[in-house]
Formats: sequence, C-alpha cells, structure tokens
Amino acid sequence: MRVWVLLLALFLPALAQEGPPPDLSPEVFAIARELRCPVCQGESAAESNAGVAVEMRRLIAEMLQEGKTEAEIKAFFVDRYGEWILYEPPRQGLTLWVWLLPLAGLLLLGAGLFAYFRPRRTLPPELLEEAERRLKEPPA
Amino acid sequence: MNPALLGNLGVSLALAFSLLGLALALLAYFQGDGRFLRGARALVLPALLAALAAFLALEWALLTHDFRVAYVAKNHSLQDPLWVTLVTPWAALEGSILLWGLLQTLYTFLAARKPLDPWRASLVLAVLFGIQVFFFGVMATIASPFETLPNPPADGVGPNPLLQNHWMMAVHPVLMYLGFVGLSVPFAYAVAAMAVRRYQTWVEETRWWALIAWGFLTAGKVAGMWWSYEVLGWGGYWAWDPVENASFIPWLLATAFLHTAIVQQTRGAFKAWNFAFVTLAFAATVLGTFLTRSGVIMSVHAFAEGPVGPAFLGFFLLSTSLGLGLLSRVGREVRDTAVFRPLSREGTLLLGAFFFAGWALVVLLGTFYPLLVEAFAGAKVSVGAPFFNQISAPIGAGILLLMGVGPILPWRRPRAEVFRNLYLLLAVLAGGTLLGLLLGYTLGASLAVGLFLYNLAAILLLVREGVLGRKAAGLSPWGFLENRRRVGSLVVHLGVALMGLGIAFSQTYRLEAEKTLYQGQAWEVAGVRMAFQGVRALDEGRRFAVEALLRTDRFGEVRPRLHFYPQMNAPLPAPKVIYTPGNDYYFLLMDFDREKGTWASVRLIVTPLVFWMWVAGGLMALGTLYILWPARGAEAAKGVSPA
Repeated sequence: MRVWVLLLALFLPALAQEGPPPDLSPEVFAIARELRCPVCQGESAAESNAGVAVEMRRLIAEMLQEGKTEAEIKAFFVDRYGEWILYEPPRQGLTLWVWLLPLAGLLLLGAGLFAYFRPRRTLPPELLEEAERRLKEPPA
Repeated sequence: MNPALLGNLGVSLALAFSLLGLALALLAYFQGDGRFLRGARALVLPALLAALAAFLALEWALLTHDFRVAYVAKNHSLQDPLWVTLVTPWAALEGSILLWGLLQTLYTFLAARKPLDPWRASLVLAVLFGIQVFFFGVMATIASPFETLPNPPADGVGPNPLLQNHWMMAVHPVLMYLGFVGLSVPFAYAVAAMAVRRYQTWVEETRWWALIAWGFLTAGKVAGMWWSYEVLGWGGYWAWDPVENASFIPWLLATAFLHTAIVQQTRGAFKAWNFAFVTLAFAATVLGTFLTRSGVIMSVHAFAEGPVGPAFLGFFLLSTSLGLGLLSRVGREVRDTAVFRPLSREGTLLLGAFFFAGWALVVLLGTFYPLLVEAFAGAKVSVGAPFFNQISAPIGAGILLLMGVGPILPWRRPRAEVFRNLYLLLAVLAGGTLLGLLLGYTLGASLAVGLFLYNLAAILLLVREGVLGRKAAGLSPWGFLENRRRVGSLVVHLGVALMGLGIAFSQTYRLEAEKTLYQGQAWEVAGVRMAFQGVRALDEGRRFAVEALLRTDRFGEVRPRLHFYPQMNAPLPAPKVIYTPGNDYYFLLMDFDREKGTWASVRLIVTPLVFWMWVAGGLMALGTLYILWPARGAEAAKGVSPA
C-alpha cells in the first residue's frame, strides 16, 4: 500500500496535466479540511496544491459519489497513513489526554476559584477567646 | 570599510556595551553606588547606536547586492524590487534576530529615560542589558547575520516567494517584534519590584509599556491574519499553526496582565498574579521563538530556521526561573488577604484573566502534544484546527460574557441598581440568541449574535451612564471623551465583540467549491454566476504569472492568478478577493490547461463577515491608541476630569 502511495506521489506531476482536476463540492472540502496533507508543512488536504493533496481531494470526491460516509472516508485515509492524518485527534488512545487535560485544568481552576472567592471563615468563638487572651498576656 | 565589517563591528560593540552595562548595573545594585549606575546609563545610547549601525550595515549589504555576505546570498537576488530588498532583513533568522536586538536596544533606551529610584533603576537596566547580551551574543556566535562566503555567487535566490507576494510582509513582522520586545520592559520592572520588595508602583509605571506592547501585538496579529487571508490562498486567516500559536500565547498572557493590573492599581490586590503573568508573557515570547525557529515543529512559517534552538530554550528557562524564583521568594508578602466576590469588578477581571491564562495553557498543550507523544511514545499524531476550535469556542464565549458584564459591575460589591442593568443585559443576550435561532443559524452562531448584541448593549449602557453622570453634575457630556482609559477600552471591547461575531460566522458558514471550466462555460455557485473567458500569461521578470479571466454578473471581470517563481517548483496562487459587508468572495485559480489554455480550474470560497474582522482589528488598534494618546493636562492624564 505504502509503495503505491509513493509511486502515485512520484507520477502525480505528470498525471495532473493529463486531464483537468475533478469538480469538487463543498462537502469534499469539509472533509479535506480535517485531513492533513501528508507531504506539506502544516497544511490541510483542502488547502494544499501539492500533488498528493489534489489526489486526496479527487479520492474524497469519488468516494462521496459512491455514497460513502464521512466516517468511512476518514477511516480509509487513517488506514493508509495512520491516525497522524487526522487533524482532529481521536478521543482515545494516545490523544485521549489532549482532550482530558483541559477538562482536568477546568476542574482545578474551578476549585481554585472557589477557594479564592469563598468568604474567609472567622475563627470559632473558643479559639477567638484564646487568641485574645494570648494577645493580652505579656510574653513569657 | 565594507558592510560585513561594519556589521560585525556593530554587533560586537553592541554586545560589549551590553555586557559592560550589565556588569555596571549589577555593581550599582549590589554596591549601592550611584557612580556605577551613571556608567550603566551612559552605555544605553552607545548600544542602541551600535545595533543601529549593524542593522544599517545589513541594509547596505542588501542594497549593494553584496553577495559575499552569506545572508544576502541566501535571501536576496538582483531582481528583487526595492521594497522587498528593504524588508529582507527580517525574511530569515539571522536578520530577524538583528531586528529584535535593535528594537530591544531602542526599548532599553526609552525605558532608561524614565526617572526611577536608583535601586530599581539599576535592576531594570541589568535585566534589559541582560536580554541584549543574549541577543547580541547569539548574533556574535551561532547566528551571525554577517558571515561571509569564500566564493560569493553572482546572484542569489531571493527571499521566500511567500514573503514577497504582499506588502504586508513589510509591516506584520515589525509590529510583532515591537510587541514582543515591548513586554521586556514590564518584565524588567517586575523583577526589580520583587528584588527590592516594593510591589505596588511598578504596575502603574509600566502600564503604558504593557499597553504599547499589547497594541503592537494585536495590530501585528491582525495584520498577519490579513496577510494569511490575502496571500496563502486558502481563504482562511488562522490555521492554528505552531508559529501562530507561539505568538498567540504571549498575547493571551499580556491580555490577562493588562486586566489584573487594573485591580492592583485600584485595590492593591492580585500582586502575585501580576508578577506571574508578566513573567510568563515575556518568557512565552522567547519560548515561541525557540519553538518556531529551532525546527522542532514543522510549520508553514518556518522561513527562518537555524541552530539557535538550545540557546533560546536556555534563555526561556533562565527568564522564567528568574521571575518565578523571585516570586516564590516573596510569595508570602504578595499574597492577597482581602475578600473577593465573584460578582464585582475585580471578581470578573480575575475570572477573565484566568480564562486568558487557561486558554494560553490549552494552546501550549495542543502545540506541544504531538512533540511529547513523538518523544515518549514514538508515535506521530496531529493536533490541529478542529481541536483548537472546539476548545477555544467555549473559552471565547466565556470571555465575551465576562467582557460585557465586567465594566458594568462596581468594585467590591454590586449595588442594587446594578442588578437592573444586569437583567437587561441578560435579556439582550437571550433575545439575541433566540433571534439567531429563529433566523435559522446554528446554536453557536446564534450565541455569537446574542453575545455581540449583549456587549453592544453593555457599551451603550456605560456611555449613557458616563454622559448622564456628567449632565447631572452640570458638566459637558463631551467630557466623557476625556476619560481616555474608559472610552478607549470600550472601543477595544467593541472591536473584540465584533471580532467574535466575525470569527463565529466565518468559521461556521464557509462555503468552498471548485470546478473546471472550459472556455465560454458558465458556473453558478453561491449566488455568483461566472463565465470563463480564457487564460493570459504575463512575464513579470522575477516571476511568471498566469491569470484566468472570469466574467461575473456581480463583480465585473475577476482575474485570479497563479505565480510561478523560479525558486519554487509549485506555483503560488494569488487569490482575488471581493470584500463585501456580508460575504467575502474569494476567487482562486487552481490549475489550467498548459497546452492550449482551453480550461481552468477555479475555486470559489464564500465566507461571511470576514470584512468586519478587519474593521474589528482596526477598532482594537484605534482604541489602544486613544488610551495612549497624550492627554492635554496632567490632571486629565490621571483620569480626574477637570471641574
């Protein structure tokens, strides 16, 4: 599978000019935006003009025409490139923590704020008396 | 004399003056001797002049096409237009560091002019000189802008084509650097305040510096967003790219600091938070540079990579531990003892600051996460825009909510009549959201409508209160404008509310479609009808351009382009954007028939309310400028209206 992708990437410049690119509907872009362009630096498959990205858009358009769902199309690309291809980290496995940590931080923040805004409790009466007594007492 | 010699001389002298200044300032502090302080002060201007000489030497080398200088050979070509040549110093790493160093000496010069007690003055100078030592040290050793080549080429390749595609490149980096460097002055004052244990006055003294830095950062970021929108050809303005994130974090922390600083000025509270925020904001600028200039993270912005990673990481750790170490030493003395209510001005300001700081943490987490996973689990994962958008939406909504109610609430405890305003605002929020839902918008977009109207109402209430208060006291209602801080901040807040609305709608309702059109063929999409009339090729010297002629029913002839640069193998799209108050229409030429020109693939991206985001950016900059604009009398500058 990998070899096939590599070959595809190699011959894309030649392929691209064989015929015009396919027509792409808004749905294609919605899916392509969530997929990484594997050869680019931080660009999605919707934006990039690299051959692989053009081919990815073509594949997405074809698969949509075959009636595949968004989840099936994404699964196809995950199968091929690994989960790295997904811009939205899955809420499981290695990337579970990136979702959980902000939630944990939120809880911590809530607890901290509660402590900050909680009215300061005055000392219970018996301790208060004790404190006053000690204050009046000359130091030993 | 040649440019390389002058440049090296400038860098070396700037380093020497800074080292000497650092030593004298430290001596002045530890010996308590004013003569050393005078000596340190005397070195501020020479360092600035030396840095300026080095910067001008780089411009000189570029203007005279001196390809013996490696930086010129790598980033300049004979065909570059004059303006590109002039901005090439910040097109790559070494030149950017030189610009950073120059601006640092400028800020040091300006900060040293302020009268200050000798104890803190020596420490402020020591910190600022220390920062200069770092930058000029980096330039003198691992990232020299004036390294020479034994065999100079006859012509260079020129700067990255992305950088010469738009005049914004002349503006955006300089604004960003002015903002980053500006944060060094509040940091230096904070360090001095913690060292001499005088915790209160530094906030007031550096208020202007922080606000200036924030204004530059804001303007720089909006300029960068616009550049991204106009040049990168993807129809977006924010990609959550590591470099964008790296510069967003200091902005968030600086925003938090500006808000908690008000509380310290007014109530003397939140001292510890202010020390922490200002330290982290400054350190974040250094961390961002490490992140994006060391090559550890891939990014479209990685124009300028080099061997400076470890140096910046070390400097980040040093400045963070200096600030936070001092803070932990004085932690007991700056602890808040007063009681705070959530429903008060200071309560909402603190809550808002926490939202900003939490946002900064989340952005940091998302940016570093792939790196951590790769380092510890050896697997490659991506954390991209969908993650950041989903996490940022509730945080942004929370900030917009606090922004409306905060200025309405009085300090300490709410008065009874304030609740009437609060209920009114909540009614506007609910009504606006309901209106959005009735108009058929998504819940998120409807909430954005509600939050915008709610903030608008809050601003109107405050203006009304200010004007009526003056009328009741028999003063001219126009006197409200004299309250620069109040009026300016309201303008900034209006900009933020508008920005929120624009972001929500442009993110939710973006429509994008692509079609291959043959000559004469028409296409109707998103309410636009266009007909393809052919392609045209233009030879522009340094690049080759192909434009498609599209006749549209609404905008006349539109000509999106593709630019071919000799140094790039893929063409760069140059979009044609039609800005309208409702939707932006973004035309892109994606591909064309290279043999006969009979077909062209055209992409149209329709995004609502983007136009208003640029207006919002302008409002934020103008509001900041209004606060900073010198007031007529000293009385007015203190916020006391003359009777």
